[in-house]
Amino acid sequence: QDANWQMTTTWPSSLELIEIDRHFVELANALTGDALQIDFFEGGSLVPAGEVFGAVQNGVVQAGADWPGYWAGRDAAFSPLATTPSLFNAVDYVNWIQEWGGAEIYDEVYGRFGMVYLPYGVTNNESGFHTNKPLQNLADLQGMRLRVSGLEQGRILERLGGSQVSMAGGEIYQALERGVIDGAEFSTPNVDWSGGFQQVTSDWATPGWHQSASVFGVMINKDAWDALSPETQNALETAATANLLWSLAFTEKRATEAYAKWDEAVNITRYDDETLAEVQKIANEVITEVACENPTSAKVYLSQLEYLADYAQWRDASVPFNLGRTPDGPEIEPIRACAEGQ
Amino acid sequence: MGPEGIALAMFGMLLIGLFMGHPLAFVLGGSAVLGAVLAGKTMVLGIVVNRIFGDVLDNYTLIAIPLFVLMAQFLSNSGVTDKMFESLRLLMSDVRGGLALAVVFISILLAATTGIIGASITVMGVMALRPMLNYGYAPSLTAGVIAASGCLGILIPPSIMLILMASYSPLSVGELFAGAMIPGIVLGLLYAVYVAVIAVLRPDLAPPVHSDERLPKGKLLRMLAVEALPPLVLIFGILGSLLAGIATATEASAIGAALALLIVVARGRFRLDTFYDALKETGKTSAMILFIVVGATAFTGVFNITGGLRATQEVIRALDMAPWLLIATMLFIVFVLGAFLDWTGIVLLSFPIFLPIVQEMEGINLLWFVVLMAVVLQTSFLTPPFGYALFYLRAIAPPQMRTTQIIVGVMPFIGLIVLMCIAVALFPSLVTWLPQVLYG
Amino acid sequence: MDVNAIIKAIDSLNEVVGRIVCVLAIVFAAIIIYDVVLRYAFNAPTRWAFDLSKQIYGFYFVMLGGYALRHQSHVRVDLLTERLGDGGRRAVEILGYLLFFLPFSWVFVAQTFAFAQTSWNQGETTYGSVQLPVYPLKAALFVAAVLLALQGISEVLKLLAGRDLYWRETRHGA
Ligand code: NA
Ligand code: NA
Repeated sequence: QDANWQMTTTWPSSLELIEIDRHFVELANALTGDALQIDFFEGGSLVPAGEVFGAVQNGVVQAGADWPGYWAGRDAAFSPLATTPSLFNAVDYVNWIQEWGGAEIYDEVYGRFGMVYLPYGVTNNESGFHTNKPLQNLADLQGMRLRVSGLEQGRILERLGGSQVSMAGGEIYQALERGVIDGAEFSTPNVDWSGGFQQVTSDWATPGWHQSASVFGVMINKDAWDALSPETQNALETAATANLLWSLAFTEKRATEAYAKWDEAVNITRYDDETLAEVQKIANEVITEVACENPTSAKVYLSQLEYLADYAQWRDASVPFNLGRTPDGPEIEPIRACAEGQ
Repeated sequence: MGPEGIALAMFGMLLIGLFMGHPLAFVLGGSAVLGAVLAGKTMVLGIVVNRIFGDVLDNYTLIAIPLFVLMAQFLSNSGVTDKMFESLRLLMSDVRGGLALAVVFISILLAATTGIIGASITVMGVMALRPMLNYGYAPSLTAGVIAASGCLGILIPPSIMLILMASYSPLSVGELFAGAMIPGIVLGLLYAVYVAVIAVLRPDLAPPVHSDERLPKGKLLRMLAVEALPPLVLIFGILGSLLAGIATATEASAIGAALALLIVVARGRFRLDTFYDALKETGKTSAMILFIVVGATAFTGVFNITGGLRATQEVIRALDMAPWLLIATMLFIVFVLGAFLDWTGIVLLSFPIFLPIVQEMEGINLLWFVVLMAVVLQTSFLTPPFGYALFYLRAIAPPQMRTTQIIVGVMPFIGLIVLMCIAVALFPSLVTWLPQVLYG
Repeated sequence: MDVNAIIKAIDSLNEVVGRIVCVLAIVFAAIIIYDVVLRYAFNAPTRWAFDLSKQIYGFYFVMLGGYALRHQSHVRVDLLTERLGDGGRRAVEILGYLLFFLPFSWVFVAQTFAFAQTSWNQGETTYGSVQLPVYPLKAALFVAAVLLALQGISEVLKLLAGRDLYWRETRHGA
């Protein structure tokens, strides 16, 4: 029997991240044929970004595209399901989700809220902070009110003397322009460009250590999902997997094009290796701290760190033809203790 | 029922509810619920609360609305306006139409300090209405000039309407404030010119006033300067910091309220009971405005999810009109809506339909369009049957002033607003020049 | 129970709530000013002012909905109904409450209850490093919906009892 879903997203049409959602909807509508029709509504037109979670959970809409980190106020585990500070790159997320048990963890965490989750988008390293003064080193962050997403990210920023403001992506441009905030990170260079940040900031500091990669996907109301036939469910999963790969290539291509534009529009500075090592140290402390405060995040981090340790053998053996680096991440045992102590 | 049917039904219910005299906020909210029921999609009603929470409660920009209202309350308690008006009135006593001109100029100044139109019209009505009638001004001109000038506050920044418009469009408060500044002031000057011309051509309608109270001009000027100083400091402090991008509208509104309170205290006018009254009035007014936003966000949410928005936009696109004609049509719709709805409802209902279409048009500056809409919305205060300015004036006018006189009186000013729209349409730089200078 | 007693009880409830809550404007104004001073003068913005001022503002205006209705501050077009004479006008106004206020109020109460309950059970907080609780505000939204619905009942009872003219001289607006 035919199903008709209404799906919305956390992204307004002005932000390029919405392309990942639109591409999935196209694939899904094509692959499911007559069995399912998804009507897609741009972010904000049905419910505000922060309310997409509740709308899907309550079945007001059947599906909602998101970045899981927005829901960390409901469960801290959503944060590492969305991004990690100075840890995973995009390929790590793909590996972990598909073959190292990540997908089950998404289903488990979203499942607690009556939802099924299909991760279908991944972007690699985010741009970093867009500000109106150059950030040469960590001391420059003192006193700055910055839009940063995420619990861990906020804690790291605070240790560096800054203060975190949380707001949805669609609100950042105005906040920068109105001076509500002194600077902002949002996403990859192409998405940040689509957000118009180049019009309201003069400096950009790379790399985006706060979010080494990000995951996007669709929350599906459990009842709506269960009403589908196994074939249709399968088709949606296939669409998600295809979209995941496409999204990586798409954003990396777009980010490359955008980087050239950024280079002309603003002053780009780069943190030196020492600074990044310092950030890694703080990130490791914060990850351990947050994991030990929240058993569910400990479980996610443990799984991610186990993947990193497991994959490190082959990844390091295949240098220089390996995919990405093996990060100098947090000690695994304290986090295991916190995860298993429950 | 198809999306088109639902869209029509929802707007139909909206009109019926309005004519029944039910509060606008609940007419909007009720029509949303009935629309969802008609569409057979009661489960979409969940978005009503999602939207109310996310769009109206969890909204940093809208904090400026109660605080600007509070600032207006404090300022009208300070007595600054009374004194300023008195000195200007005496100063211009020999000028033809001087009293009416004084009303226009004080209103422009009031508009630039805060611009809660209820406050402006009430203050002017209480101070100027009877003197004007006593000195032989025509009742219709008296009513028209007080009502029309009193509405300038919502166009000349700071303005809660522009704040709401920024909150529901891709434009920033600063940009909109800068864009509306010149059209707002020019419209005020247009009123002054009109009054002056009437005073010359029809002295029977606006006679010169030979006051018995004669004070030396120099003394009057000094008095005026002293009285005008506190509001001018407020204007430059608030508006300057806002336009310079130093403070946000929300920050500016908080500081403005504090400064206005300081003026009250400095003038020895602080009394605990009036202070508490100001808080209570602010609470009622803010709840009134923001509950219309609540109702409107419920309405537009259901309107979107049942497909009404897309259907409406498709109808508009299918018209395939030339851009200028389409824009003129949109503005005409806003003008007509203004007779029945208040500005909050109009902005929230029309923005989601119009703005995406305007953004698709090549060579059309969105800021220009929104300011043009803000200018047209000036008429919504003046056009019967639903016009705040009419209500306020009716509430304070003496019984012998008939409602028809008020309505006849505002008509020429509606004409001037239309004239101003044409000017803004022909010379977009009236809107775009200042933002360009300020923001590049 | 006597109709007048019900009206009095509801009106007093919203009056008390309104008289207390309206003072909060000073509180969020003060928080914003405090943050401005810390930020511009000491280069050390607070961690909490942004979210907290938003929450107090939200609580403030939404809790005043019933109070504003009690004082008939919600704007409406009454130029047409005024011509109907008292009986006709009252009938039309009562119909308005049944057709529009009642469905909206019902959805507002029912949906905010579910909304608040979900948030409460999740112990929802903001998602940044300052994990400010969100569920109290969502619970307040439900309370506000109830206060508004109650006031609607009181207003209808006043119309039925022909006691609806007292507010004429106390209208306010923007
Ligand atoms: Na104003
Ligand atoms: Na009107």
